[in-house]
Amino acid sequence: MTNRFTLEVISNALINAAEEMFYAFGRTAKSPVIYEVLDYAVGLTDSQGKLIAQAPGVPGFSGVLDFVALEVLQKFRDLQPGDLVISNVPYGSGTHLNDVALTAPVFVKDRLLGLVVNKGHWSEVGGMHFGSWTSDATEIFQEGLQLPAVLLYKEGKINKDLMEVIRYNSRLPDAILGDMEAQVASMGVAARRLTSLVEKYGEETVREAMEKILRDGETRSLRAINSLPKGEFKAEDYIDDDGVSEEPVKVVVKVNITDSSFTADFTGSSKQVKGPINSPFPATVSAVREVFMAAVDPHAEPNAGFFSPLNVIAPLGSIFNPVRPAPTSTYWESMSYATDLVWKALAPQLKGRLPAGHFLSILATILGGVDDRTGEPYAIVEPQPGGWGASSFQDGESALVASGDGETYMASAEVYERRMPIMVERCELNIEDGSGAGEFRGGFGVIRKYKVLSREAYFTVSIGRSKFPTWGVENGEGGTPNYCVVERDGKTERVRKVAAMRLNRGDSVTLRSGGGGGWGDPRTRDPLKVLQDVLNGYISKAIAKEKYGVVIEGDSVNWTETAKLRGGLK
Amino acid sequence: MRLGIDIGGAFTDLVAVNENGSFIWVKVETTSEDPARGVMRSLEESGISADQVSVVIHGQTIGINTIVERKGAKVGLLTTKGFRDVLEIGRANRRDMYNFNYRKPEPLVPRRLRLELSERTTASGEIVTHLDPKEVEEAANYLLSHGVESIAVAFINSYINPSHEIKVGEILEGLNVKFFTLSHNISMEWREYERTSTAVVNAYIQPNMGRYLSNLEEQMRQIGFRGSLLIMTSSSGVTNLNLAKSYPVLTLESGPAAGVIAATTVAEAVGVRNIIALDGGSTTTKASLVRDLSPKVITDYYVNRDKFHAGIPVKIPTVDIVEVGNGGTSYAWTDEVNDLKVGPRAAGSRPGPACYGRGGTEPTVTDAYVVTGILNTKWLLGGKLPINQALAKRSVEELGRKLGTSVEETAEGIIMLANENAVNVIRLVSVQRGEDPRDYVLIAYGGSGPMFAPFIAKELEIGKVLVPFIPPGVFSAWGMIVSPLRRDMIVTHTIRLSKEGAMDEAESIFRGLEEKLIREFSFPEALLVRSVDARYYGQEHTVTVPAPKDMTGQGIEELIKAFHSSHERTYGFKMEGDIEIVNFRVTGLVRMKTKLPKLENREVKMKQEFRKVSLRGEEDEWPVIQRSSLGIGAKLRGPVIVEDPSATILALKGQTLTVDDLGNLVIEQ
Repeated sequence: MTNRFTLEVISNALINAAEEMFYAFGRTAKSPVIYEVLDYAVGLTDSQGKLIAQAPGVPGFSGVLDFVALEVLQKFRDLQPGDLVISNVPYGSGTHLNDVALTAPVFVKDRLLGLVVNKGHWSEVGGMHFGSWTSDATEIFQEGLQLPAVLLYKEGKINKDLMEVIRYNSRLPDAILGDMEAQVASMGVAARRLTSLVEKYGEETVREAMEKILRDGETRSLRAINSLPKGEFKAEDYIDDDGVSEEPVKVVVKVNITDSSFTADFTGSSKQVKGPINSPFPATVSAVREVFMAAVDPHAEPNAGFFSPLNVIAPLGSIFNPVRPAPTSTYWESMSYATDLVWKALAPQLKGRLPAGHFLSILATILGGVDDRTGEPYAIVEPQPGGWGASSFQDGESALVASGDGETYMASAEVYERRMPIMVERCELNIEDGSGAGEFRGGFGVIRKYKVLSREAYFTVSIGRSKFPTWGVENGEGGTPNYCVVERDGKTERVRKVAAMRLNRGDSVTLRSGGGGGWGDPRTRDPLKVLQDVLNGYISKAIAKEKYGVVIEGDSVNWTETAKLRGGLK
Repeated sequence: MRLGIDIGGAFTDLVAVNENGSFIWVKVETTSEDPARGVMRSLEESGISADQVSVVIHGQTIGINTIVERKGAKVGLLTTKGFRDVLEIGRANRRDMYNFNYRKPEPLVPRRLRLELSERTTASGEIVTHLDPKEVEEAANYLLSHGVESIAVAFINSYINPSHEIKVGEILEGLNVKFFTLSHNISMEWREYERTSTAVVNAYIQPNMGRYLSNLEEQMRQIGFRGSLLIMTSSSGVTNLNLAKSYPVLTLESGPAAGVIAATTVAEAVGVRNIIALDGGSTTTKASLVRDLSPKVITDYYVNRDKFHAGIPVKIPTVDIVEVGNGGTSYAWTDEVNDLKVGPRAAGSRPGPACYGRGGTEPTVTDAYVVTGILNTKWLLGGKLPINQALAKRSVEELGRKLGTSVEETAEGIIMLANENAVNVIRLVSVQRGEDPRDYVLIAYGGSGPMFAPFIAKELEIGKVLVPFIPPGVFSAWGMIVSPLRRDMIVTHTIRLSKEGAMDEAESIFRGLEEKLIREFSFPEALLVRSVDARYYGQEHTVTVPAPKDMTGQGIEELIKAFHSSHERTYGFKMEGDIEIVNFRVTGLVRMKTKLPKLENREVKMKQEFRKVSLRGEEDEWPVIQRSSLGIGAKLRGPVIVEDPSATILALKGQTLTVDDLGNLVIEQ
């Protein structure tokens, strides 16, 4: 038997190989959406497509790689060294058409050792609007070029005809082909690492290490599940709309936890909708994996073993498992609800692990136009941060990116102002709209106000949880809504979904993200904490009195009045 | 005589080099409650008479500890209207992305002490809302009346036009505010969160550091010291006492930076230009890649950043060093699925590894080495530290029982995983940045670096390891002596090279920077080195390349060529299209005229003993040699153990160990 410590070292090296591929791609990509937003994920699978190691830039990408690998293995029974498959069709293996996956086999002589997968957001793959994703598509054909798992390289030779097709179908061919080149090169980094491990330790030992990763992952996961409360837990909610109508969309989940399994069943949720918010099944699974990690073990290595006790059920043709030709380009609007529903069902059961609900929406924002000084186009493309929920032991954090985003950085106002004809007039916590009160209160959202300095500009935004703000736990108050205020031609308008709205010089948009939900009865909050909140300007004296039953006079608590207000209410 | 004194977590090291090259070193325990006491004790123990000392160069961890332990001053922040919460919003990233209870670092200034002023400068430097002096005074008085000791001022776009910050500074001076920090004086780079954070950190540690430095200077004067006290900074250079008192944030990583300079100095002496400096300490392993004898100095530094924590950004020139929580006293433990892990928790010097016999019972990396026999089984630190092998065995055995492995297997497993952690940190600074570690010489120092290095070299196929002739355990203190005087000025100013008049504009920015640097640096003989951070227009990633003495002349062609090739090496591609300068950098340097010391009293007669070492399931007798008995030119075949009073050095089977002309130990394979 191979020394157990050697296996441990090889396991680490495999995880490392995924990380090196991750950095190699991030370092050499040409598009900010890759190297700034980290909108990509890479990983390795074994010869059967089971995920061995992955490095996702955002947690929303936690589950998309093995679907790709499985599809490739099913379609190509006779993969050869040097083959490389390209795919982006959402329904079976993807998310939206912008996310393009490359998959390559790694061989030891003629025996398949595993697959290397790299899936990244391409800035432009054609379709009805620039950037390919849009809030008003009603069919996938409006969303860009479809690549249904075809060979980009055959035995080391690139398919030039296919490259030509791609080039003709994108508005930014140089950028995406540059990214593709970086994607392919980064896969070589991981493949070489695998090969050198085989040279050093032998094929059998490397395969044994892969098995060990899966076995350890499963053991870890089962042990953690065993400590969770067992039973069936339900949640339901409403998505504001599907993007092309005003109708709210109902979504539900039933979570069933047994000694050895964790099932999220979305049966009963809305059928697939006309607008592009449909969440393809792999995206739905990703969403559930994310909250599964949060609930079970936030620091575990994500692999097929760890996820093996997890089942996700979503009926074919539903919003969480749409079929062709459903549009999916703003899939994240529903996908984040899949995370949120499971979270909501479990939060009261998992004190300390899962907090109350957060602002949820990415508030995807595009503000752009032409810079009159240079005649060059400019654009802000960004998600907005917002307030997170309180937990049973601490207040919610303020101004963090949503659950589907991770190591995603909010851009600097100074950088924007230097580069674009934009003035950032406010970048502060959204104290004005508040957050969910509670024994522990929710965190605050942000207010970002952009004033247009160019002659004209165009504004697109997609905001969720505007009609239905997030939820509190154990009598904690719910959060506050996300929305945007447009000031245009002297008029002020509150909006949540806008496509390519024209703005003129001096007009402004103010993005306002919501606060997180509270945890526990506000009237049990430590009055000294309420005092601190008042002194720091997080809440007003009026709110302290109304919601928390705490009377603040000057710089201190009036204990007598507070006791009167709270009397018997504890 | 020149002295380097380095306060570290566990020990305070003193190194002295005489004009004729003679060398003295002392290691005493750090007195963290009053660090100056440890410094004075090291002076006392060295037996050096204070009036013989011309220069003392001092590195310390007081600044960083003040932040980590949250023991700094009560700080108030004055900022632009609309931006009160910049410090609390940060960049909004969730570094620990599956942890839904994730918290950012608690801001060093609470919201009530962050005040907005009506003022605004645009990105082109134009003032659109003028500062109201009365409002400033009111704000300052409010802060002072709320017990604020130190004030930070950070306005939007002050990197391009600092006049409002300067005006506030004058008003604060008028109000007799003793400690205040204007952001543009420390960082003239864009990005408001990072610059504000840097100013706040400085304000936070300034009162503490100021008191410490004044107190130390006074104590040294009292014992007759008449020379100058200079302060080591994170940039791998040395600065004067006054600047360090005003901007103590410059000194946060002084010890590690000095180590890299020491390694670079040794490399230069032996004619090597590309090295990886490996600093194996008691709780961490640090690595830094140095190309062409120029340590890479960056301004992307964070306090308390790790895999799961965003940390506090400090945009101060800092040598690019990566560290992992894996050192000589790191604990070995088993996780939920009974896999063996090493670090990041460590025993430190209290309670220390089990073999120290100070009450520690959990096994550490040191214990594993003692069990295998690679480390001396009776004493360490040249006899100063007694070792109890039985206690080491007991701790490792206990862990082995959980794992189902023998004590020897377990010890070897610990060593393997600790080495793997160290290998990983080297991969981080090389492979992950597109560099091949095989093109570099590994220079290993610190208490545990020379012990890890041969294993790392084997794993990464690095041909040559060099363990410096200076005792590895006090290498950083020696680095302080050989560090140049240094001052960096960096300013963000985006200019596209194709723009008409771009070169004249660039030249005038450089000249302005150089004048400012000379004014502050007060060394007219300083060598001024220009460079720029540049990128392809429309791209984000920058590379740093040397800039010519005259931007309007022919030298610009060189800059462009260097840019393309550097970009290709770092990011894998080059392209057509416009190049944009983002940051202008000027470094002022005054190199020290120091001779390399001669280490004396070598007993040329080699004394050799044998110790039982069990590795790879085989038990063998390994020769053990005292370093002092190794003469110049000695050549040994691995496996062999060389003991130095401050470290243990190894060569493995298949490796050779030679002593070069300077006395460095060179391990090759």
